[in-house]
Amino acid sequence: MLVYKAFFKIIKKNMAQIAIYFVIFLFLAVFLASIYTDPANMDFMESKIDMVFISHDKDSKLVDGLKEFIGERANFIPIANDEQKLRDALFFREVEYIVRVPKGFTQAFMEGEEIRLEKTVVPGSASSVYMDSLINKYLNTARLYVDNIEGLSQQQLADYISEDLSHQAEVLMLNPDPDKRLNEKRTYYFNYLAYSLFAILVLGISAALKVFNQPDLANRNLCSPLRLRDMDFQLILGNICFAILTCLIMILPSFVMYRGHMFTLKGLLFILNTFVFSLAVLGISFLTGNIVKSRNAISAVANVLSLGTCFISGVFVPRDFLGDTLLKFASLTPTYWYVKSNHIIGSMERLKEEDVRAILTSFIVMLVFAVTAFAVSMVLKKQKYMRQVRGF
Amino acid sequence: MFLHNYIYRLKCIIRDKEFLFWTLLFPIILATLFNFAFSNITEAEKFTRLNIAVVDNEEFRQNTALQRAIKAAANSSGDKDQEGLFNIRYTSKEEGDKLLEDREIEGYIYLDNGIKLVVKESGLSQSIIKGFMDHFMQLSSTLETIIRKDPQSMERGILDKAEAAINYLKEVAPSKSSPDIVVNYFYNLIAMACMYGGFWGLKEVTVIQANLSSQGARINIAPIHKFKIFIVCVLAAVTVQLFEILLLLAYLALVLKISFGNQIGYIIFTCIVGTITGVTFGAFVASVVKKGEGVKIGILIGSSMTMSFLAGMMYDKMKYIISTKVPVIGYLNPANLITDCFYSLYYYGINTRFFINIGVLCVFIVFFSLCTYLILRRQKYASL
Repeated sequence: MLVYKAFFKIIKKNMAQIAIYFVIFLFLAVFLASIYTDPANMDFMESKIDMVFISHDKDSKLVDGLKEFIGERANFIPIANDEQKLRDALFFREVEYIVRVPKGFTQAFMEGEEIRLEKTVVPGSASSVYMDSLINKYLNTARLYVDNIEGLSQQQLADYISEDLSHQAEVLMLNPDPDKRLNEKRTYYFNYLAYSLFAILVLGISAALKVFNQPDLANRNLCSPLRLRDMDFQLILGNICFAILTCLIMILPSFVMYRGHMFTLKGLLFILNTFVFSLAVLGISFLTGNIVKSRNAISAVANVLSLGTCFISGVFVPRDFLGDTLLKFASLTPTYWYVKSNHIIGSMERLKEEDVRAILTSFIVMLVFAVTAFAVSMVLKKQKYMRQVRGF
Repeated sequence: MFLHNYIYRLKCIIRDKEFLFWTLLFPIILATLFNFAFSNITEAEKFTRLNIAVVDNEEFRQNTALQRAIKAAANSSGDKDQEGLFNIRYTSKEEGDKLLEDREIEGYIYLDNGIKLVVKESGLSQSIIKGFMDHFMQLSSTLETIIRKDPQSMERGILDKAEAAINYLKEVAPSKSSPDIVVNYFYNLIAMACMYGGFWGLKEVTVIQANLSSQGARINIAPIHKFKIFIVCVLAAVTVQLFEILLLLAYLALVLKISFGNQIGYIIFTCIVGTITGVTFGAFVASVVKKGEGVKIGILIGSSMTMSFLAGMMYDKMKYIISTKVPVIGYLNPANLITDCFYSLYYYGINTRFFINIGVLCVFIVFFSLCTYLILRRQKYASL
């Protein structure tokens, strides 16, 4: 097993470069885990909007009541009333809604004059639609009282409104999925894995093949007593072992992060999917390793291939935001099929026939990628060999 | 002589395919990928009409008030701010369950001894539906209270008044430009490309240092002042890098249609300052670090990636977190300063913030250049 050993020696030499991508992946994975997930909530919870409430109208029971009412459905973020700070916060979505109560609002309102609150929002956002409806609801209710009951004090008004607004519709949850967040996280974990796995395999395998393909070295190997077939076999074995090893190392953190959840049907499917994907990537790496000429080009190719396929296949951004034409184009890469089956595995609640069929299709497509890429590179290799033989 | 050296340095630089890839092609590829990925991402927070179902049973048919309210919510009212909230379909309960399971609808309304809302998960869409249902019940309560207090209000047409809701909010835009988080990614990308200009700075220092390349050894024997040749080299590097950055800028603005605001002169000025910062940064790294070229390139890539990360290239909120929690780090990070220049031009127009950023960048340029010069000057070698 001389060739096999030599293969891993070369990999070891390139360890530093390979390790970078593993560290990037670990960083992403840990970052993902650190995002707080609220415990599985089986009851309905209303959304809370991050907002800033600025009142220039002091000592107003009406405004206090309004603030209290929306306070149940908002997180008030303490930001100094500084124009630039508020606008920065809105840009980076630290807050999504800024409302200002102008001076003399309450008095004008009670006297029936036309006066409005000022809002600064992300235009057309759903959160602004929600908060608009809450504020308008409160003030319209107040309007009804002020217009129809004479001599109402502010305190009475606030009490009436708060009594009315305590009536709420009953919300029932239909088979809520307690593991929804966890499944989403796991899906993202395995999606991110695609990026690093792709980069590592292309880098490692191309670097190794590059060495074996050096003309002088290749010629020297050809006149060694080892049969070409044996040499190729060992090389391919080395590739496969390297791919499986990388796969295992990348999957390992998931057992630490998700523990028992990985020993389920879902966990098993995630892992199986990753293995099939790694075969496809292996094929592609083998191909690039045989095509790419210079050493320096390898890292460029590895970066462009891994980043490119991941971006267009929806690894870094959810698929819904990618255009249809782009996705069609992306379906020419194995990453597309890997991400697709990841999402199906992550979101299915029980094994349905159509899900199984979709996952199997993805597996088959990925295997076809592997076989094709492999076959093409073998043909290229053979051609090169023939040229070399003729050259002598 | 100056021109001669300059032209030959330019030739040397543009023949370095590997560095050309990283400084020019890589940012353009990344920009294209960003564009694929982020062009629709703001759609996620946009409001779109919600798909809901109403279970059409006996109790619902009797509740004409609710029927009217739901119809009103589905149609857009006169106010242009308030489009219709819902797309409604009427179903049986079983069908509603199935639609909900298949995520065709966000929830369905079901009347069974009172109004009930059935949903699959908690979220903003579901909260909006609930808010609407709440409103219907709360309005009834308000009317009851008023009519009880003053029975004559009925005759004054309180019911009609109740339905004519007034919009009490007026929108004040945060800026002439929309708060579109996506542009920040692209500004960051330019900042990263500027810092990648460090590759050229590094290359130029290697070329004139006798202990780093044989070419450097030859140049050192030539009768030309070290400072002169250094200036020529840096100038050549800045020329090429600036050309690349402007190409990237043109690609972003003209092909990908990224908005930069309308201060073209200031934007190009930022590019120039950013480019010089990047190139001098590379020269600084190359002269300070006394290890092999691989290590220097590693440090260059590592530090520019870290800077880009802190400026928000991988996680958009990072820039905000740094600027509010530890603003000092923001000012010590050239990538962040460059990004912030573009950001403030886009969002605020020309203001002091922009000039502070440019000022700090200039301080960096002077610092990097001075250090590089002090290290490079008057070096003598016993043997090479």
